[in-house]
Amino acid sequence: MVWKFLLLAAAAAAVVSAQVKTFPFAYTQQDLPNGLRLVIIPTDSPNLVSIFIVVQTGSRNEVEPGKSGFAHLFEHMMFRGTAKYPPEKYNQILQRAGAASNAYTSDDLTAFYTTFSKEDLPQILAMEADRFQTLKYTPEVFKTETGAVLGEYNKNSSDPEEKLDEVLHDTAFDRHTYKHTTMGFLKDVQDMPNQYDYSLKFFDRYYRPEYTTIVVAGDVDPKRVRALVDQYWGNWKRGSYHPDIPAEPPQQGPRENHIDWPSPTLPLLAIAFHGPAYSDTDKDWVALDALATLAFSRNSDLYEKLVVREQKVDQLSAYMSQSVDPNLFEVEARIKNAGDMAYVRAQILDTIKKFQDDLVPAEKLDAVKNRERYAFTMQLDNSQSVAGTVARYIGLRRTPDTIDKLYALYSQLTPEDIRAAARKFLTENNRTIVTLTGPAAAGGAK
Amino acid sequence: MKLIAGGFPRLLLLGLLLAASGWAQMRTVTLPSKSPVVNLRIVFTTGAMMDPPDKPGLAHLTAAMLAGGGTKDLTYKQVVDAMFPMAVSLNSQTDQEMTVFSGTTHVDNLAAYYKLVQSMLLDPGWREDDFKRVKDEAINALRVGLRGNNDEELAKEVLYATLYRGTPYGHYSLGTVSAVEKMTLDDLKQFYKQHYTQSNLILGLAGGYPAAFLDEMKKDFGALPQKDESPVPAIKPEPVDHTRAVIVEKNTRSVAYSFGYPIDVKRGDPDYPALLLMQSYLGPHRMSGGRLFQRIREIRGINYGDYAYIEYFPRGMFLMEPSPNLARRSQIFQIWIRPVEPPQAAFTLRLAFFELDKLIHNGIPAEDFSRTKEFLSKYVNVLTKTKNAELGYAIDSLYYGIPDYNSYVKNAIAKLTLEQVNAAIRRHLRADRIQIVAVAANAEQLKQQLTSPAPATIQYNSPKPADILAEDKIVGKFDLGLRPADVQIVPVASVFE
Repeated sequence: MVWKFLLLAAAAAAVVSAQVKTFPFAYTQQDLPNGLRLVIIPTDSPNLVSIFIVVQTGSRNEVEPGKSGFAHLFEHMMFRGTAKYPPEKYNQILQRAGAASNAYTSDDLTAFYTTFSKEDLPQILAMEADRFQTLKYTPEVFKTETGAVLGEYNKNSSDPEEKLDEVLHDTAFDRHTYKHTTMGFLKDVQDMPNQYDYSLKFFDRYYRPEYTTIVVAGDVDPKRVRALVDQYWGNWKRGSYHPDIPAEPPQQGPRENHIDWPSPTLPLLAIAFHGPAYSDTDKDWVALDALATLAFSRNSDLYEKLVVREQKVDQLSAYMSQSVDPNLFEVEARIKNAGDMAYVRAQILDTIKKFQDDLVPAEKLDAVKNRERYAFTMQLDNSQSVAGTVARYIGLRRTPDTIDKLYALYSQLTPEDIRAAARKFLTENNRTIVTLTGPAAAGGAK
Repeated sequence: MKLIAGGFPRLLLLGLLLAASGWAQMRTVTLPSKSPVVNLRIVFTTGAMMDPPDKPGLAHLTAAMLAGGGTKDLTYKQVVDAMFPMAVSLNSQTDQEMTVFSGTTHVDNLAAYYKLVQSMLLDPGWREDDFKRVKDEAINALRVGLRGNNDEELAKEVLYATLYRGTPYGHYSLGTVSAVEKMTLDDLKQFYKQHYTQSNLILGLAGGYPAAFLDEMKKDFGALPQKDESPVPAIKPEPVDHTRAVIVEKNTRSVAYSFGYPIDVKRGDPDYPALLLMQSYLGPHRMSGGRLFQRIREIRGINYGDYAYIEYFPRGMFLMEPSPNLARRSQIFQIWIRPVEPPQAAFTLRLAFFELDKLIHNGIPAEDFSRTKEFLSKYVNVLTKTKNAELGYAIDSLYYGIPDYNSYVKNAIAKLTLEQVNAAIRRHLRADRIQIVAVAANAEQLKQQLTSPAPATIQYNSPKPADILAEDKIVGKFDLGLRPADVQIVPVASVFE
C-alpha cells in the first residue's frame, strides 16, 4: 500500500503552553546493541496490541535511475516468506491470531503493522523477527509479486489526482528522489519483473537494525516485550550502507505543466512551492503548516469565497509535506468549469501574496493552535492509532520525543513567523503549477 | 466537573419531565467510558429506499444538506468557523435503510459542539446557496468521484442497482444526475418532515459524556414529529434466473469486476454466522489469508486483491474495514475482483467462478475450518477497536435485534460445525445464475471473450508450478454460462445519469 501523508497538517500540532506534554502516553525508548530501536507505549485499551515495525527507507531512498517504486515493491516482498515461515504458514498464524495486518510505504519510511490479541504477542514478534532477518524468495515469486504491484498501480490509475501528484513532483524536482511518487513511474513498475538482483541488494542495504524501529502499543508489559525482542531480534546483524541522496538545487524560475486526461473529469489545479524539511527546532516548517490551514482550509476566507459563496470550486486544500528532506508546499483545487481556471489560479496566488504582505490576526492563529491540539488528542483513541501516529514521527526523527518538541514549537508560532516563511518559500522562482483537464465539454455539475 | 455545571444547567430538572413524555421511549444506545473523547452517532432508520420513484437521491441530498448547510441562526460559514477550533465536524452517511450523522469531540467542547449539531439537525437553515453547493457536490460525486475516478466502486454499485432493479433498493443512494439536478428545497423539506421522526431515531452516544447528557439530547430530539406514517416497503429482488453481465464501457487502463446475487440471509438470521465464516474463508478486504487473495493475487500475481462479502461494503477503496450503520433487510453475496490487466480479464473471472464452484462442491476444507473459526472469533475485536466503531456496531445490533456484535459472532461461531457451514454454503451460494458487472475499455472485446466457448488462457511473467498450470487449463475452460444476448454494454456517461 502506498501512503501519502496528506493529512499530517492536521496532526502536526500545537499546545498552548510548551510545558504541556502533547503526546499523552508514557513510553520507553531503548536501543539494542545491534542498533535496533524499541519504543513501548502501554495504553489502557484492553486485550489488543498493535505493533508497527518502521524501516527508515522509502521512495526517498530510490537513488538509482529506473528504480522508482522499489521501496514499495519491497514492502510487498516482505510478505513472501522465509524457510521457517513460508507465506502460507505466516498467513495461517496471522489468521489464527485474528490479526489485522498490513503495510505501507511513503517517501521516507516503510511500515509493517499488525493488531492482534495480547496472548499472541510472542508468536507475532518471533515471526516478524524471522522475516526481517531471513527473508527468502525465488525469482519466480518475485516476478509474481510484481504483478500485484502493477495491480495496485492499475487500481489507482483511474484517479486523475494520482496523475496530478505524479506530474507535479516530476516537474518540480530535478535531482532529489522526491521527483517520483512512492508508487513509481509506470515504466519502472512495468520493468520490475527484471529487477530480482536489485531487490536482494535493496534488502541487504536497508532491512537492517540501524534502520529499524519497533513500536509496540497496547495492553503490554514493557519488561516482557523487551525480553522477547532481545530473544528474537538480538542477533540481527547491523549493516553499513548509507545512501547518497542528491540535494535539490534551488529552482531558478517558475515551472508549468499540463495533463490531458482521457476521460471526463473536473479540471484540477495544483500550485506548489519548494518548502522546508520537517523540523522540530526551526519554525519554517510549522509556519507553512499553519499557513496551509489558515489560507486554504474550510474556514479560510478563500474557501468561503471560492467554495461557499461563488461556488466555482468544489474542493480546495493545501498542505506542507512532512518529509525528511525539503519537499513541496501544495495547494490543490478542483474547479467546476474549465473557464474559471485562470481566475482560481489568480485567487490562490493573491491569497499567498496577502500572507506575504500582511500579518495574520493573532486570534486566527490561536484557533489553528487549538484545533491542532484537539485533532491530535482525538485521533489517539485506540492502540493501533497510537502506534501508527508514533510510526510517522519515527520515520522523521526516529523518536516520539519529536512530537512534544514539534507541538511546543507550534505553540510559540507568531504571525511574524508565518509572514516570514511565506516570503521565504512561496516565491515565483520557487513555484510549479500543474493543471489537468478532461475532454472538452466534459465534467461534473454544470 | 465544570462542564456539567456550565454547559448543561437545565439537566437536573429534566429527569423529572422525562417520564411524562413520549420521548422517554426514544431508542438510545450508550457506551459510557472515562475517555476524554465523545462520539455521537445520530441514526434515522430511513434512507434511499424511501426516495420517491422519480427522485432517486433525495434521502442522500437531504442528509448532505443538513450536515453541509447552515442552521436557522447560523450561516454555513459560521458553523464551519465555530467547529474549526474544536477540530470537529458533522458527517452524514446515507444508505438504503439508515441515515447516520456522526461526529467526535473532545469532552471539553461537547456542549458547544452539540449545540451546533442540534441546530443543524433540528433547526436547519434550508438556504438556496447551500443547496446549490450541496447539489453540485452530489452530482460531482456521481460523475467524477464514482464514474470518473473509481472503477471498482462503480462496478460494485452497478451490481447493486442491477440486482435490486424494480425494488426500493434499485438505485444508488446518491441517485442519478438528472434527478438530483431537478430536486428542489421543497423536496428536501418534505422528505425531512416525513421521515426525520422520533420513531425512526436512534441516539448513539459513547465516551466520557456527563451522566445527564443523554436526557438533554432526548429532550431536544423530542421536538421531531413522533411518527413516520409511510409504510416500510418490502424488498424482494427478482431472482437471477441465468448468468448475465453488464459491461460499463469507459476509457480506463484495466478491468474491474463485481459479481453476485441476493441472498436471503442477514445479521441475526440462523445462517448468518455460517456465511460470515464462509466470507472469512474466501477472504474479506485486505485479508491476505483469504482463499481468493491467495489463488488470484498471491500465487498468480494477477491483481491487488480479491474479496467476498455478504453485506454491503461501500468505499472499499479508502477503508480497511466496513463502516457501521449500513444495515439492510436484504443483502447480496458478492465477489469483488480488483482491476486486472485486460489480457488477463477473461481468465480471472473464470478463476473466481471456479473457486466459488469448488467451495460449493467441496465445502471449506477441514484443515482450514478451525483456523477460520479462530480468526473470526478474534477478528471481531479488530472491527470494533475504536469506540466509534463499537457504537456503530451496537446501533446495528439494536436494528437487527441481536446482542452486541462481538458476543453474537463469538458465541455463534463457537457452536458451528463444519457440516453446518458447508450445508449453509450449499443452501445459499451457487456458481451459476450470477449477475456480473465489469468496467472496461474495450467492452465488445471483453464480451466476446466472456461468451466465447474457446478456453481462456493466461500468460505469466515467470514459470509457475505444474499444479497451477494444470489448474489453469481447467479454469480456462470453466463455463461462465454467459450468452451473448445476456451481455449488456452501457457507456459510462449513461450510468447513474
